[in-house]
Amino acid sequence: MATAGSTTGADFGGAPRQRKYNPNEFVHQNDEQLFESKPKTAIGEFYRDDDISLDTIEGYIAPILFTILSFITRMYQIGISDVVTWDEAHFGKFGSHYLKREFYFDVHPPLGKMLVGLSGYLCGYNGSFEFKSGEHYPEELNYTFMRVFNATFGALCVPIAYFTAKSLKLSTPATWLVTLMVLCENSYATISRFILLDSMLMFFTFLCFLGLAKFHERRHQSFSSGWWFWLTFTGVNIGCVTSVKWVGALTTALVGIYTIHDLWDKFGDLKMPLVTYIKHWIARIICLIVLPLTIYLACFKIHFSILVNSGPGDAQMSSLFQANLHGTDLTKGPIDVAIGSKITLKNMGYGGGLLHSHVQTYPEGSEQQQVTCYHHKDANNNWIIHSGRKTDAHESNDSELQFVKSGDVVRLIHDLTGRNLHSHSVPAPLTKDQNEVSCYGNLTVGDEKDNWIVEVVSDARYSDKLVHTLTSTLRLRHQVLGCYLRAANLNLPQWGYKQIEVTCDGSNNPRDHFTHWNVELHVNPRLPDGDSKAYKSPFLRDFVHLNVAMMTSNNALVPDPDKRDDLASRPWQWPLLNVGLRMCGWGKNIVKYYLLGNPIVVWSSTASMVIMAITVFVYVCRWQRHYVDMTPTETAHFIYSGVYPALGWVLHYFPFILMARVTYIHHYLPALYFAIMTCGFLFDFGTKKLPGWARYPAYLLAYAAVVGVFVLFSPISFGMHGKHDQYSYLNWLSTWNI
Amino acid sequence: MAPKIAVPEKGAKKVKQPTAPSTASTTAVSSAEAPVAKADEIIDDSSNGPIYLVAKPLTIAEARKEERYYNFALFMVTILSFWTRFYMLYHPDQVVFDEVHFGKFASYYLQRTYFFDVHPPFGKLLFALVGWLVGYDGSFLFENIGDGYVQNKVPYLAYRALPALLGSLTVPVVFLTMKDSGYSLAACLVSAGLVLFDNGHITQTRLILLDATLIFSMTCALYSYVKFMRYRNSPFGRKWWKWLLLTGLSLACTISTKYVGVFAFVSIGLAVIIDLWNLLDVDRGLSLKKYAQHFIARAFALIVMPFMIYLLFFQIHFWVLSKSGPGDDFMSPEFQETLGDNEMALLSKPINYYDTIDIKHKDTGAYLHSHPDRYPLRYDDGRISSQGQQVTGYPHKDANNNWVILPTVDFPENDRLGHPVNGGDVVQLYHTVTGTYLLTHDVASPYYPTNQEFTTVSPDDARGPRHNDTLFEIRLNNGKKDQFRTKGGFFKLIHVPTKVAMWTHTKPLPEWGYGQQEINGNKNSQQVSNTWLVDEILDLQDDRLNVEKKKVKHIPFIKKWLELQIAMFRHNNALTSSHPYSSLPPEWPFMLRGVSFWTKNESRAQIYLVGNPLGWWFASCCLAVLSGVFVADQLTRRRRYYVLAENVRNRLYNSAGFFLLAWAAHYFPFYIMGRQLFLHHYLPAHLISALAAGALLDFFYGNPGVFPVAYHAPGATPKTAEKKKGEQVESSVQRPPTMYPPSSLISYLVSGVIIGFVCGVYWFFKPFTYGDPGLSVPQVLMRKWMNFDLHFAK
Repeated sequence: MATAGSTTGADFGGAPRQRKYNPNEFVHQNDEQLFESKPKTAIGEFYRDDDISLDTIEGYIAPILFTILSFITRMYQIGISDVVTWDEAHFGKFGSHYLKREFYFDVHPPLGKMLVGLSGYLCGYNGSFEFKSGEHYPEELNYTFMRVFNATFGALCVPIAYFTAKSLKLSTPATWLVTLMVLCENSYATISRFILLDSMLMFFTFLCFLGLAKFHERRHQSFSSGWWFWLTFTGVNIGCVTSVKWVGALTTALVGIYTIHDLWDKFGDLKMPLVTYIKHWIARIICLIVLPLTIYLACFKIHFSILVNSGPGDAQMSSLFQANLHGTDLTKGPIDVAIGSKITLKNMGYGGGLLHSHVQTYPEGSEQQQVTCYHHKDANNNWIIHSGRKTDAHESNDSELQFVKSGDVVRLIHDLTGRNLHSHSVPAPLTKDQNEVSCYGNLTVGDEKDNWIVEVVSDARYSDKLVHTLTSTLRLRHQVLGCYLRAANLNLPQWGYKQIEVTCDGSNNPRDHFTHWNVELHVNPRLPDGDSKAYKSPFLRDFVHLNVAMMTSNNALVPDPDKRDDLASRPWQWPLLNVGLRMCGWGKNIVKYYLLGNPIVVWSSTASMVIMAITVFVYVCRWQRHYVDMTPTETAHFIYSGVYPALGWVLHYFPFILMARVTYIHHYLPALYFAIMTCGFLFDFGTKKLPGWARYPAYLLAYAAVVGVFVLFSPISFGMHGKHDQYSYLNWLSTWNI
Repeated sequence: MAPKIAVPEKGAKKVKQPTAPSTASTTAVSSAEAPVAKADEIIDDSSNGPIYLVAKPLTIAEARKEERYYNFALFMVTILSFWTRFYMLYHPDQVVFDEVHFGKFASYYLQRTYFFDVHPPFGKLLFALVGWLVGYDGSFLFENIGDGYVQNKVPYLAYRALPALLGSLTVPVVFLTMKDSGYSLAACLVSAGLVLFDNGHITQTRLILLDATLIFSMTCALYSYVKFMRYRNSPFGRKWWKWLLLTGLSLACTISTKYVGVFAFVSIGLAVIIDLWNLLDVDRGLSLKKYAQHFIARAFALIVMPFMIYLLFFQIHFWVLSKSGPGDDFMSPEFQETLGDNEMALLSKPINYYDTIDIKHKDTGAYLHSHPDRYPLRYDDGRISSQGQQVTGYPHKDANNNWVILPTVDFPENDRLGHPVNGGDVVQLYHTVTGTYLLTHDVASPYYPTNQEFTTVSPDDARGPRHNDTLFEIRLNNGKKDQFRTKGGFFKLIHVPTKVAMWTHTKPLPEWGYGQQEINGNKNSQQVSNTWLVDEILDLQDDRLNVEKKKVKHIPFIKKWLELQIAMFRHNNALTSSHPYSSLPPEWPFMLRGVSFWTKNESRAQIYLVGNPLGWWFASCCLAVLSGVFVADQLTRRRRYYVLAENVRNRLYNSAGFFLLAWAAHYFPFYIMGRQLFLHHYLPAHLISALAAGALLDFFYGNPGVFPVAYHAPGATPKTAEKKKGEQVESSVQRPPTMYPPSSLISYLVSGVIIGFVCGVYWFFKPFTYGDPGLSVPQVLMRKWMNFDLHFAK
């Protein structure tokens, strides 16, 4: 066992040990002896021998070399395509909004886009470019710099992979294999070249796992400075990765499982004093929960403090928030709402939108005109207040102004279609136990079911029971049915354009914020303009509001069954590499990029997941038969360096299968990293007992295959020039469309 | 009752070589860690180790006495169960809620007409069996909720007696499950009582619904498995096989009733996996060969055999449904050909050229018709017609429905008879009364600007300038070129030049068309509603009146089954639309909201599916406490405090843990299910939670679980417990076959109070369960707990 395990060190020759001269290392070694090397095992031997000089040199040279290669592969000809490629159209545009400081809305958290904005700022871009898909970049925009900035994150992933593999105690050849697989992964190289969030997402995900591996290395030196550093490091990266995209939560889950496992082990350690155990808990709560949350919040804080101007995303936020943006027209309206005023109504629940109607009708139920909640500013959001039917009309301009107060009966007439906001006892399309709300009739045609009673719930400034722009919180009660107008972030199907369902809720729950509305925009030429400079909206409220809105629009991103999206793919296709993605137009004069993994890397990593599952099953069964296959130390190595990466793959892959959202091939990239790690581990695990003459050729063969296929496929990453059919030799599978 | 447990000896038991963990919580990760932990245990356990409780065994006489108590209780429970389920079974004498579906399916079975449904056939076949046994012909089709049974002469009492019977039998099986799991009588009574007096179970199992079958089969599966485990010490014995096979049979019935029955497979499957895992332990002394036998026996009895039985039910399903019916359209043409149309098939005749036929639209039943009246020049919306002769759809037999089917080129005068019309042929249709030819052209139809108008033209035109427009292709729905036949030969009439298909719909034409149906040319020729059939040949000569019997085709069963199976899953996934009374899984354990089944305005009576709120809350609390006990046990053991005696703990994990697992398997999958869900989906899980409640109570009653449940158990004294380590035990230590843990007075009291309260709440909600009597507003309001949306509350 020992001889087989000591391979690397022994083969590189036995240089004198230097560890005792290095105080840090000394501690480590002590520890090793205390905890790890009681049985003289393969692994124990293995790392006592790894400080041989050649190995030390390798520890410096290899990462530098890989980093250089990585920068070359990620940045070679990075600026050759001067058109806006793929989702650059989105993320470049969002970056521009930061430079213009205009409020926008997107489903992703802000960190990644702020970094894009930063890159634009650094190269002196003023944010004026629209980033229309397929358009050419203007002269003044140094898009190459912006791409290089992004590619740097992608390039740094390679040394991170190297150090992670080292920390997982993979042998040096296996570490190289893992690093090469990451380096020569075409999809990584391709996606890192553009102004996208994925390189950052990968960067922080990889760092997270590196932090975990490093932390695990120091698990026996609790509360040492290194221990604290790597715990904090992991926490910071959890915060960053979730602030780039929400899928970062999957990485968090991996760290969470590790932490629970670790704490459970410590719980069984009777020698550990209870105080120490509690300290372990507190350290993790602070570093892995409080810290990431703070970072996540801080990102939004910065987001809000940069975007101070009114912009395209205003309508997603509460009226109070919008009123505080520069350049908004919200605060100009008259303060008191009167009969005849033209208003927009904003739902005050988290993520609420504007009351909206359009000429399209419900396909079921009453089949009358749809009423929805909409998150964009649009003339279809305008409603005119009329007095209720069968009450004294005060509608002509000559008559006295009649202000709307709590308890008044009004009608809301949709400005563009002239129909009344109406409800009846027809089940709503989604929430069947509530009533449908529609638009019906016109100024003269209609019935009492067009009447709504205004109830002022509260007012932030006034106490006179009148309805005021922005500050009043209203509920609208249906006069006949007694139900309340409600919109609760439920997306209608495609016929309703994924807008929010509006219902009339029979249950009277005054604290239900989804039945609360406020007047947002108010136009009435007969009234003097006011200046309802509102109170500052509290940050936490805005934060929750924005996050709920992000969640709602994320839920609306489901595949449209009527419209086939050629770019989208199903999760089962990813590990099989059954599908690629054209990132830009496929014309003759365009430099073309095709997002596709390195087939060798993807297929071998997928195979390794299957092999891993079988290996675990066999070992567990043998363990139950009381075979002793591994020493405790070997078992720990197997679990932490093999099973945990595999678990990481499971966590980063399977949730996409359950997700109803539309999925793309690049969603597999983080999972692929964990599969590569597992692959490297299995290669190491399978070959470490082989004699050198078989082992090294095996590694060399693997290296050659990975690099060779990468070189073969490099045009898809570096850009394909000329007609696409000259690259058809790359279509290994009929489903690829290079 | 005097406790017959000897004072438990707290014999500190040193574990020399701990055996494999008997718990379910063995994951790959922790198991691989375990060697370290084991090593530690060896060092530390000298003072503080697992303990065993020891009880004095009952004498045979005492055991007999206990047995009598159990039997008496079982008898009482069964009587009450029948009473609660059969009480007022005749009320209401109307179609209630989903009876509309399952009653209809039973009628289809009785009429042997093919239908399609997303549920597997077993439950529905049982209803059909009942109907057949009482001699019902299945003529009533249960069209609407509220249709009267008495007027329609439906044997609804017989139908309802089946679920009521199965529902009644469920309660004693629950009791027996608890008894055979080794729980005290007081605990058994609580479990049985929670199901016995549950308004939800009663409501759901006295109507023509599948749930009674599902729940009964599932309970039987649990019971059989518990029984099977009692015989674990005599593997491959007769009883062992019997109960293993019965488990498989019950599982098969469960999944053949509704697909949620798969959760029963998951529950039992998990238990089997854990059991097999423990058997794998070398200390259990099984050679790999013996182990493989264990494995194969279970795989056969619990997977292969149930699957075979499942297929068998489908085989019966296909055998019974031999005639074409409303489900035909869901199936492929090949499949449809296997359905004999019986008398229709008998009448099916091959069609020849120059036959006079009438052509019927399959969906609306209207005949292709024409009369001398013309289309108006201008329609109401301003569009203009060709003013040609009207071609309409007319639902009654009429001479104007008669058409002669003609070849495009006439056969010689003397050789016109006996030329068959085949699928794919191009033909002309000649209207006998007006002497004109059917035609369609690029003129918009009266109602559909996008569809082509059908009209007729004179023979001169038909032979001359308009010839091509009179050509139609007979395209058989099965795509074959067989001879064209009446009745069964569904076809589309495709216009040759324009490729439109003849189509009609139910919106009647205005007065100028006498309110008959519009016939037009549909550009979407693939549409299913373009299907027509030839109803009759009107001028048959004698020799063709005697027709040969149409042979019903046959395709292999597996092919039929696969096709149906795929169609069922596809339709099940499509059931996503919402329903006013659908609910979500998190609401269920708290019994927040029910389902309105039936209302009657005159008497203010209603049937409202609602579980016994107290019972449900109690069971849910017990689940929470039970989970807490498990967590606490795991935590304390991790710190090496051995609070529970080893045998108590085994009982807790292997029995209560099994119930908890089964509950979770019957509950949590609903969270990821996309289809619409109702409260009754929780009923199986509720039943299991009642078992868990009893188990937990028993744990608190202090029945230490020292009485081995398994037959031929090696006993529970520390000495005999060491048999696990391979020592031989003398046969004199063998226990009597069954051991009854005695109940203390206090446990009877507690159980009595619980059952009493549950029964009281049952009585309180009784009017909603049986739909009688009607309640006044205050009475309804009094019962409006939680979010119950009851009727007649105003």
